[in-house]
Amino acid sequence: MSTSVGTPAPASRLPRSVDDVTGRSARAILAHRDSPARQFARLVLLGVSIVVLVGGWRVTDIDLAKLANAQNAGRILTALVQPDVVARDITQTEMRTPYTVGVTGTGEAVATTPTGQRLRVLPAAAKAGDSVELVGSGFEPNADAQLRLDTGTGRTILLSRIPTDNRGGFDVEIEWPSANTAPAGDYTLQMLVNAPSGGLHISDTLVTGLARMGETILLALMGTVFGVLFSVPFSFLGARNLMGASPVGLIIYSATRTFFTITRSIEVLIVGLIMVVIVGIGSFAGVLAIVVHSIGSLGKLYSEAIESIEPGPVEAITATGANRVQTVLFSVIPQVIPEFLAVTIFWWDHNVRMSTVLGLVGGGGIGYLLIQYIQLLQYNQSATVLWMIVAVVTAMDYASAAIRARLV
Amino acid sequence: MLVIEHLVKDYPGNVRGLDDVSLTVPDGEFLVLIGLSGSGKSTLLRCINRLIEPTSGRIMLDNVDITAASAADLRKIRRSIGMIFQQFNLVRRSSVLTNVLTGRLGYVSPWQSVLNHFGEDDYRRALINIDRVGLRERVHQRADRLSGGQQQRVGIARALMQEPRIMLADEPVASLDPATSHSVLKYLQQINREGMTVICSLHFLSLARTYGTRVIALKGGKLMFDGLPSEIDEQRFKDIYGEEAVEVEIR
Repeated sequence: MSTSVGTPAPASRLPRSVDDVTGRSARAILAHRDSPARQFARLVLLGVSIVVLVGGWRVTDIDLAKLANAQNAGRILTALVQPDVVARDITQTEMRTPYTVGVTGTGEAVATTPTGQRLRVLPAAAKAGDSVELVGSGFEPNADAQLRLDTGTGRTILLSRIPTDNRGGFDVEIEWPSANTAPAGDYTLQMLVNAPSGGLHISDTLVTGLARMGETILLALMGTVFGVLFSVPFSFLGARNLMGASPVGLIIYSATRTFFTITRSIEVLIVGLIMVVIVGIGSFAGVLAIVVHSIGSLGKLYSEAIESIEPGPVEAITATGANRVQTVLFSVIPQVIPEFLAVTIFWWDHNVRMSTVLGLVGGGGIGYLLIQYIQLLQYNQSATVLWMIVAVVTAMDYASAAIRARLV
Repeated sequence: MLVIEHLVKDYPGNVRGLDDVSLTVPDGEFLVLIGLSGSGKSTLLRCINRLIEPTSGRIMLDNVDITAASAADLRKIRRSIGMIFQQFNLVRRSSVLTNVLTGRLGYVSPWQSVLNHFGEDDYRRALINIDRVGLRERVHQRADRLSGGQQQRVGIARALMQEPRIMLADEPVASLDPATSHSVLKYLQQINREGMTVICSLHFLSLARTYGTRVIALKGGKLMFDGLPSEIDEQRFKDIYGEEAVEVEIR
């Protein structure tokens, strides 16, 4: 078998496989088998991995059936697509009529308003277990009406919530509650109807949320600014290429890096909890938490930026007879400025994300609002806040990436 | 006059960088260092201004012992030793002017330099030296916008700002094309003819023959040859670069 020199050989004239020469296939020649010890070790690793995963499943109480029971999930998901961003003003109409409890009455009790709303209650007195018919007309369509019993002592008892139909009326029967709820006596029946009125406007939730979001971004900014002010000087002490020349320098370098690692290892929420204890609930605690957490992370990132500079210019400036400070000023700082800026912007972006959760521990910002809404089961309002966080974090993410791309 | 006596440099791990090198460089010489990569050329140059600390031996510049100088004295001595580098070692993001002015840092008080304050005298020198290397048009450009040859000329201007007694050049043209190499070496030759001692390591023997007034060769940290460029014949060349080597000419 021969191939001509100088011209590419057609495929058919190449050796079909190495066994043309050796009698063995190329695959067999190139085959690679691990040693038995390695194969065994791999088997052990696989076994250990399975045990850890199974154990983890049990320890963390993973229960997929709970996910299937999605009553709350449904409400939350519904709320997510219906955030509270616009609202109409609510006008409340009140009407009253005397009512006796404890006897089964006859006839009807009627309440009216000058604006044409009318409520009839049949019969005009009731005792526990009686069926009472409520007929209303002239209200706003799809409004929310509450029937209450006024004890005359400043306390009212909610009897029923009645939605009005699309013509603004209702006709429902309720069962009169037990004597425990409404003891016998003379009362005043009170009807409160909440109806939306006027045009759509931005909801209070959105206004509050925007204010809190502004506070959150500024909280992150202040935390970042002070974090930068503290970490930049330290970062030069934590750069091995500047400090590694002498034993004393190496000690300072190691101490600085250890300091960075310690402040970085405590998560921002935990620092926040501690700061709330020290300075009380509010944004200041959040700022302090971000500062402490940022010093370690920024310091480390800055130090690494300094360590990655070209050594040549440092050598050249040293050779001119410049002292250490001059060398850093004229050869290190010009080289690290773009990287420092990029790191700072990235970290502000990161800190905005951090400050959205700081409110959970009382550190101010929008997280504080969110946890209030969630605890009050106000899912639509919670959804508004969640979407605002998504929008702001996404925008910051994009903006910081764009700025960094231009800098580096 | 530069006198080097029994200079030894040991690197960690039992690596001998320089092995008992003794050398006298009279004023006004254009001394070319040749030798393979790793033969100790860069180490020798950097020991002269103590960018690398020698292990033992003495270096005297005009009867001042560089090797024994304190940190403060060393900075003063370094002012009189200019240096240019293979990779130019400019601060890329700084302007040509700033790079040239940094050559003056050994003379400026630290407090003034913190404020980025150079005197009228420093600016005047910068102007003269930038003109000298023909870069007046580029004075405010960032160093990394310049071609390799232009960057090396900035390096020369920076070193000239020190008003040095001698100029060290560590492979100054190894990153440049042949034509640019000549233009850069012509600047060094010009400086040399005005009276400054130049010590320059080069890869190409042909360049050493063209520009050097004297050649020394290092091999494995030892001084192999010390003489005139014309004295390097075929056999000496093979002694320095090994039996396999073939001389490549650069014109």
